[in-house]
Amino acid sequence: MTITLERMRADVAAMIHEAPEDVGLDDNLMDLGLDSMRLMNLILAWQEAGVDLDFGSFAEEFTLSGWWRAIEAKRAQG
Amino acid sequence: MTLIDVAGATEDRSPLTEAQAGLWYVQKIDPDNPILNASQYVELKGELDLALFRRAFETMVDEAECLSLVFEETAFGPAQRRDMSTRPALTVVDLTAAADPMAEALEAMAKDTATAVDLAKGPVSAFVLYQLSDSHCLWYERIHHLAIDGYGIVLVTNRVGEIYSALKTGATPSPSFAPISAAIAEDQAYLTGERREKDREFWKNALSRLPEVASLASGRAVSGHTFHRKTTHLPASLFEALTARAQALNVTWPDLLTVLVASYCRRFAAAPEIVVGLPFMGRLGSKAARVPCTLMNVLPVRFSDLENLSLQEAAVEGARTLMACRRHGRYRSEQLRRDLGLIGGQRRLFGPLVNIQPFDMPPAFAGLDVTLHILGAGAVDDITFTFRGDAKTKLMMEVDSNPALYSAADTAAHADRLFAYLEAAVSAKRLADVPLASPSEVQRYLFDANATAHAVPEVTLVDLIERSMRETPAAPAVSFGPEVLSYAELDRRSRALTEQLTGLGAGGDSVVAVALPRSLDLVVALFAILRAGAAYLPLDTQHPKERIGRILASAKPVAVLAGLEDGHLFEQTILPPEDWQRDPIGTTLTPPEPGNLAYVIYTSGSTGEPKGVMIEHRAIVNRLEWMREHYGFGPDDRILQKTPATFDVSVWEFFLPALSGATLIVAPPDAHRDPQAIARLIREEAITTLHFVPSMLSAFLAAPESEGLQVHRVFCSGEELTPDQRDRFHQRIAGELHNLYGPTEAAVDVSFWPAGRDDRSAPLPIGFPVWNTSLYVLDDNHLPVPPGVAGHLFLGGVQLARGYLGREDLTADRFLADPFRPGGRIYRTGDLARLREDGAVVFLGRSDHQVKIRGLRIELGEIEAAVMASGLVREAVVIAREGRAGDKRIVAYVVAAPDFDGDALKAAIRARLPDYMLPSAILRLEELPVTANGKLDRAALPAPHLELGGGRPAETPSEKLLSRLYHDLLGLESLPDAEADFFCLGGDSLLAVHLVLRIKEETGRDPGLGAIFEQPAIAALAAVLDRAEIDHGLGPIIRLADGDARRAPLFLIHPAGGISWGYRHLARALGGVRTVYGLQSPALDPHEALPDSLEVLAQTYVDRMVETWPSGPYHVAGWSVGGILAQAMAAELEARGLATGVIAMLDSYPCECWRAEPEPDQTAALRALLAIAGHDPEAHPELTTRAAITTFLRKGKSPLGSLPDAALDGVIRVVLDTNRLVRGHYHRRFGGTVIHVRAALDHQGRGLTPQLWDPHVGAIDRIDVPFLHPQLTSPDATAQIAPELARRLQPFDRSEDT
Repeated sequence: MTITLERMRADVAAMIHEAPEDVGLDDNLMDLGLDSMRLMNLILAWQEAGVDLDFGSFAEEFTLSGWWRAIEAKRAQG
Repeated sequence: MTLIDVAGATEDRSPLTEAQAGLWYVQKIDPDNPILNASQYVELKGELDLALFRRAFETMVDEAECLSLVFEETAFGPAQRRDMSTRPALTVVDLTAAADPMAEALEAMAKDTATAVDLAKGPVSAFVLYQLSDSHCLWYERIHHLAIDGYGIVLVTNRVGEIYSALKTGATPSPSFAPISAAIAEDQAYLTGERREKDREFWKNALSRLPEVASLASGRAVSGHTFHRKTTHLPASLFEALTARAQALNVTWPDLLTVLVASYCRRFAAAPEIVVGLPFMGRLGSKAARVPCTLMNVLPVRFSDLENLSLQEAAVEGARTLMACRRHGRYRSEQLRRDLGLIGGQRRLFGPLVNIQPFDMPPAFAGLDVTLHILGAGAVDDITFTFRGDAKTKLMMEVDSNPALYSAADTAAHADRLFAYLEAAVSAKRLADVPLASPSEVQRYLFDANATAHAVPEVTLVDLIERSMRETPAAPAVSFGPEVLSYAELDRRSRALTEQLTGLGAGGDSVVAVALPRSLDLVVALFAILRAGAAYLPLDTQHPKERIGRILASAKPVAVLAGLEDGHLFEQTILPPEDWQRDPIGTTLTPPEPGNLAYVIYTSGSTGEPKGVMIEHRAIVNRLEWMREHYGFGPDDRILQKTPATFDVSVWEFFLPALSGATLIVAPPDAHRDPQAIARLIREEAITTLHFVPSMLSAFLAAPESEGLQVHRVFCSGEELTPDQRDRFHQRIAGELHNLYGPTEAAVDVSFWPAGRDDRSAPLPIGFPVWNTSLYVLDDNHLPVPPGVAGHLFLGGVQLARGYLGREDLTADRFLADPFRPGGRIYRTGDLARLREDGAVVFLGRSDHQVKIRGLRIELGEIEAAVMASGLVREAVVIAREGRAGDKRIVAYVVAAPDFDGDALKAAIRARLPDYMLPSAILRLEELPVTANGKLDRAALPAPHLELGGGRPAETPSEKLLSRLYHDLLGLESLPDAEADFFCLGGDSLLAVHLVLRIKEETGRDPGLGAIFEQPAIAALAAVLDRAEIDHGLGPIIRLADGDARRAPLFLIHPAGGISWGYRHLARALGGVRTVYGLQSPALDPHEALPDSLEVLAQTYVDRMVETWPSGPYHVAGWSVGGILAQAMAAELEARGLATGVIAMLDSYPCECWRAEPEPDQTAALRALLAIAGHDPEAHPELTTRAAITTFLRKGKSPLGSLPDAALDGVIRVVLDTNRLVRGHYHRRFGGTVIHVRAALDHQGRGLTPQLWDPHVGAIDRIDVPFLHPQLTSPDATAQIAPELARRLQPFDRSEDT
């Protein structure tokens, strides 16, 4: 199953007990209560789904749109 | 390194980040400390391609700037610079030929990790690859924490793996690390940004009113060079349960685990709150997420009592707190410490560290099997709980501790106990249901330590007493002075009274009251009551009639055995010894059963009503049989009875002799307060065993007579026995010392501790349970606590009282079902205690408002009730203030009702309470202080005295010595500073004597008592010591209090004894603003001639004043004869044309009054010395000669008694001469105003009034104070007199100040 931005948004929302529409693409996810532990859990799941990015890449920019840009860049590269 | 635009930055140098700065100082303070070396090794199994590994390593080192940093001090503070000459290289060590390659590698790593780095020189990092075999390598990394944090190490380690794997498989590695300048720029931006302000606000709120930070051990939490570690691999089942529970509670498992560990820590610290430190990577949403450097922060997270919530609520609340803290997690904890003023000393922001690494996974190296081993992870200030998970099934717990605070055994015990706590907690409904003690601790301390079962025959005290009467009829049973009763005589006399009491209705469970002084009759009465099957109720005839009446109304005795002279105290008819039957007539008696009551003793009750503790024969027989066997009592013993019968210690004194066939020696009434009398009794009566309340033991040990005594056993109980008392005992007395503990509610004593010569315990334990008894230390939820943790002491077993007479409600409140031994009962003592590792119990204090003064139990509530019952106050609170160790003072705070009258209040309290319960001070407040939530704010109640100083610490050896002595003598919590004043801190003249003795002991120099009065501050007294000046305080002029040297001083003129020490309180109250001097009689020096007349004396004194203070005005005051002198000095000043200021006399009357009185004899004058020394002359009618009085004073502890012979002679000479001077004096008139302070309660019917001065002074300013003449220099009177004098002194100051 390939990863999509909408799936990532849904996964993040579930992790912080919010509705997906309440998680803005440019929201700082730390302010929404996402911490490194939860992030790591998400990354592990996404890595299983084929995302080839490490923790540092996700941690650097803490928004959904930032992550999506990084994933697309990596896909273009690989 | 890129240039950063901040102060101090240069081409290649930049300042430290906030995170680095804190660590830099830690290393700077202790440059040799290697603890900041973070090190680990990666174990690589499989075929490692060394060339690829090298390439991967070199690439990483190029990217990771932090590995080549050096740290230097600059004018702008510490700075960092990348120095390529320190760039780390990979060292490869071939150990394939070594005998034990693994061991050699590990040893080399340990050695490297234990070597401190020179930060200025570098290199700050080192990397070694140990080749153990062709397919087994260890890659060792060591980097200083100033260069990198835990997250950074993961980055660099994983980076090598990633590049190695990419090289191996042809994949593209992710982008390189971001430059360190990115992290520094972010750090600088944060420093000046808005977010930081918000974060600061958050933390300020979160940590407002932070109590002193608690931890699991006390002491200074500063990391040493090493740490203890105990590693526990937690079972998969625990990790599964933890994750399952976290999921059910809808929190992450690390958050749930943090809450559980914090709960463990808070409970172990027995503190209402705990602040744990949580390491926080601080990089989310930041460029620094890809920068190996030091950014890690430690978040202080505050947890209060979550245990009584459901675990659901606790977890959710905990997780919410954690989330909030993380959101503000960039704010540096170092800065927070500065914000909160928590720098230096033992001040700290958090206690234990809780570090949870849920994804502690090894780096990936393609084709290799990899494991990661952490060696050192930084400083261990206190204790760190680290959990490392592999994100799947494994969880490892490391407990690291500072060896200065924890032993290796403590560390292991915490690991084991926390493991057990977590096991139970993950499935608990609420944490309060989980015992803090581990199952093995519960087994050891709750069950094994209380395995005290011991067969005791099912008999009564009467059976045991009568056995001795039968077996040794001719042996001496009781002795009182010259009178001795044999067992046969005791049998006959008590049996006769038993028959009489039986006739009055005494029998099983009825009560007979006894109110007799210590005498043979008292012993006969107690034995007779027991033999009649009744319980005895001891009463103290010194207690107010009202209190006795209330006790009797509740106890309803069938008879009252009391002396005729005390008949007025009782409503009912008494049976005085004169009316007792002398010989038995043979009536059949009904002896008691083991379940019948033996005695009822009333103790102070918090509701205001004394409560009667009912003790059954079975209980007291257990106690006495244990004592007899445990200490080996036998017929040769001679046991002293000196404890009042109303205090339950007397029970064993009275009956243990009869159980052992020994002899009971009854001390004369009141002898128990007189060390000399006790010492004489021990010597003359060959006493083998006696009891002391520890404070009395202390006084006894201070008396010269106790030196060299021999006595087989001394028992202490009733209050805390201190190590100091134990050691002093063994220095002076040859014998055993035993510490016993128990409340009246458990048949005298339930625990024992041999306080032998070699015992070094401090604090001294109350020890182990007696037969058939258990001691439980439980938390608020009645669950067992482990050793070291404070808890509530509960008692169980056969000795528990039946309950409180007629008070089922109170009984139900204090006597509960035993939760650990079905069918048993436990008694809630209200005492706080902790267990030692060996199972001995240590008493820690009270959990409620009960206090003990000289071993007597006092419920402050009873005093409050008495104060309120007066109807004179609207509100009242009574507290026990502890000024110094073992010296508690009862202070009542009242809010007055409209018709308030202080004297009437005192009288009302006196009518209801025994003397020992009377408040020593009553302070009137406008309102009682309350806390924010409306509770009484005890801390805000004003102290009757100033209590603390504050200034530079003691420095010179003498200052340090004095600081220690003040601390010890005054029972201070901390070492006082150099400015600390002995008297301000609670010292009095008695303690001043002790201080002189201690100084003499320690230095061989005797500063003299006078020096203490004149220079009570440590620095000043130390200066005196260093000059080796010796002053007995008998000089003609002494400085009683320091003050503003620009203001006219106050001169206080000595009373009859010639000494002005007595003005200490007044001087302190009036000092500060001005200097206060005491003028003393020149005749104190035996080489000086006696003055010719009082007039001459007054002239001499004026000369002295003028020498001291040349310009006037002159303020002069004196008490008693001192006032007469003050008037004479005023007249002399006036005659010399010198300005007078305040002239005051405290209850002085003109000489003509004294001439009219009959001439007092020599003896009366000598006896006045007793009063001067602080003794009540009425209490010592036997002291009538000069020799007797001097001997008495020498043996006592009054300041006078410690004077050298010549000086004491001087005082006696002055006392004897005063009468002559006064009678021979004729007043000169002084035209000014004299302030006259009259002791309004005194002089009734003697016509001594201030008007008597009319002919001799211009005007009289009258002040009446409600005291007696001798009380006028007391603290209480001073409190009223000083403000009046201060008000009158003030106008003179104003004119001087302008």
